[in-house]
Amino acid sequence: TAGVKIFHFGACRVPVSMTEIRAGFTAIKANIQSRDPIRTLSILSHPHSLHKVKSSDRCCITHHLFTFYVDKVFKHCRTEDSFVNRKISSIANSFLSARRKLGQCREQNNCVCGEESTERFKQILANYEGLNVTSAAMKSLGELDILLDWME
Amino acid sequence: GDALLPAPQSISVLSTNMKHFLTWSPVIVQGATVRYSVEFQGEYEREYANGSWIPTSECSLTTATVCNITEDISATVAYRLRVRAELGATRSPWGTMKGFFNRATTSLTPPLLRALADGHHLLVELADMGPTLQFQVLYWRKGQESRVRQKVVREVSSVVHLDTMEAGAEYCVKAQTHVEAINRSSSFSPTQCVRAQGDTSVWL
Repeated sequence: TAGVKIFHFGACRVPVSMTEIRAGFTAIKANIQSRDPIRTLSILSHPHSLHKVKSSDRCCITHHLFTFYVDKVFKHCRTEDSFVNRKISSIANSFLSARRKLGQCREQNNCVCGEESTERFKQILANYEGLNVTSAAMKSLGELDILLDWME
Repeated sequence: GDALLPAPQSISVLSTNMKHFLTWSPVIVQGATVRYSVEFQGEYEREYANGSWIPTSECSLTTATVCNITEDISATVAYRLRVRAELGATRSPWGTMKGFFNRATTSLTPPLLRALADGHHLLVELADMGPTLQFQVLYWRKGQESRVRQKVVREVSSVVHLDTMEAGAEYCVKAQTHVEAINRSSSFSPTQCVRAQGDTSVWL
């Protein structure tokens, strides 16, 4: 079913339609990754994997990354393929819905940003800005499963 | 040019159990077959993608005046929808639905269920209502209403085993539909009771 995973950050509860997001991404993953010529470089995992993030920083990094995808990535991924565009729209709107809840967590001080998460996110932004915007956006979208795996 | 063909009117969404359909009034042109194309715009497109519109997956140049937009409305945000008529190279202006549609407002109906007694086994049969719905089934022994038990059914295969009943006792079942993505439930179905095989005489 449209599996919704409930993420608990302190007293904060963030429902994310993970099954719908994964289904949308799986449907376009090959198409998107074929548009990324530089497969040896990673935006989310360079130089450190997300899996090394301390649990206390998970909420902050999640909020940063959802904001990153909503603000910077999805808008530069429009393609000539309306099927792909529909799936990107589906993922983007799901991210927007989840990001809003994460924002509420931050307002309730349940999403504290430590030094590590701030540094980690700066590295991701540096990786992103090291490429031209379309390549960086397509690469980031192609790495969405890295984020989803880490979240789950 | 385009001005000859009027925009479709009376555009609205019918949404039940997370299945969403857009409908509109037909544009009548005597002796001609008018076709329609539908587009949608999520909150993301409005706020971050310059208000862009996206063609739906099922309704480009359709002759129908209803469109299944379930696959396109795939997030719990406010969507806008629009339709235009097309006749050959002539296109009408877009007709845009008044207001927004959010799938959180879908109407949820109780599931169709059938309680069964198979010897001592209490079973329930639930009608499949699509992948986004799951069911919360409540069951109890008649007369012991304070000891209601619950089972969540996500995948409707065929028959679901609920309990092993005491001989001759009567058990009751009711269920409601639940949608995780919008965190809402329907009202409960009518209660159904069945009796277990065997008598209730007490061995002295």
